[in-house]
Amino acid sequence: MQQFQKRMHNTLITIAGLALLAFSAFAFADEDSSEKLSFKPDVPHPTNGTTECVQPEDEMKKNHMNYILHQRDETMHEGIRTKQYSLKECINCHVPKNSEARFGDDKHFCSSCHNFTGVSIDCFQCHMDRPMNKAGAQKPLGKNPHGAHISAPVSTEIASTSANATSNEGKKQ
Amino acid sequence: MSCNEVNISRRSFVGKSATAAAALTIAPGVFLHTVAEAKPADQAVTSAVRWGMLIDTAKCASGCTACVSACNTENGIASHDRPRTDQQWIRKVTLRDKQTKHEISLPMMCQHCESPPCVDVCPTGASFKRADGIVLVDRHICIGCRYCMMACPYKARSFAHETVDNTVDYVPRGKGTVESCTMCVHRVDEGGTPACVEACSKAEHGAMLFGDIKNPDSEISKQLAEHGGKQIRADLGLNTGVRYRGL
Repeated sequence: MQQFQKRMHNTLITIAGLALLAFSAFAFADEDSSEKLSFKPDVPHPTNGTTECVQPEDEMKKNHMNYILHQRDETMHEGIRTKQYSLKECINCHVPKNSEARFGDDKHFCSSCHNFTGVSIDCFQCHMDRPMNKAGAQKPLGKNPHGAHISAPVSTEIASTSANATSNEGKKQ
Repeated sequence: MSCNEVNISRRSFVGKSATAAAALTIAPGVFLHTVAEAKPADQAVTSAVRWGMLIDTAKCASGCTACVSACNTENGIASHDRPRTDQQWIRKVTLRDKQTKHEISLPMMCQHCESPPCVDVCPTGASFKRADGIVLVDRHICIGCRYCMMACPYKARSFAHETVDNTVDYVPRGKGTVESCTMCVHRVDEGGTPACVEACSKAEHGAMLFGDIKNPDSEISKQLAEHGGKQIRADLGLNTGVRYRGL
């Protein structure tokens, strides 16, 4: 009987010890996440005032590649051009206009995390890694079959929407 | 020549009317169809349409390269001063009859075949034909083997030998893959017309007509039904989407 009590006593001490250990581990973990430690990627946030992504942040952290991949095939093969999960829109929102940061720099939205995790991607060997400068480049003018943007780009005309372009065209007559 | 002038003015009349009408959502003639059938962004393309082009060589001016430069600007194609290997999606070709010395000029690009040889030979499935008849390269899958370039009877495809610095965000292009005319698929999906056709119209030649060749009411179908349109290398039986008049 005495032996049993002793054994019980030892077990209790062990359990208490384990509980203490576990508690301290949690406490430290909490401390870790509350502090901004140097080994976390410094992900730049959208600068255009947008606060919400197309999916909750946790979901995007884990599964952004699946959304983009799915959209990629739909756009390429079926011509589905919704903006929600398009890579172009990711860039338009997450990379500031006229940004100096290129993919590969730690300050670029995508590479800030991809550099940190050591996951290499080749999206930006073809795709633009920053929003296109609408004033200096050609932009399809949507439904207007006679959008006037063939010759040297003129910023006002290029930046205008298809509706504006239509009215411009109307004025020329 | 007088015949050409009549057609030019008619063309520009149709163009202006359509543009003005687009604002009023009433479009006459060819553009009624184009405007009315602009596909919603979330819907897949279907085989109910087949996009095609009709090129009138009689109206195509020799020496004019409006279509080529429009294509290059639209798709961000730049020269490396190496004509043999530079990418080209569209080029001007001059045909000369040795006997009569008669010359005709025409733009040559991907003919968007119904049975494309480039798709037959592609080992990865990167070369494919969309439901609406546009033949494309999925650069995500392309391994750059260039079988399609050898298979194409029209020499329509080219290979990106160099890193592409001047891409535009709606036409991603990159080194190590094959590319060719996309019929400006990014515009077509939004109800627009290809850049070359627009440029030709703007240069007041109006030699290029774009539209749905499955719709009997479209301008291109009417023109094809009335005047016909030849396929280049019709003997291959590829049923090209790009047809020519005056060959």
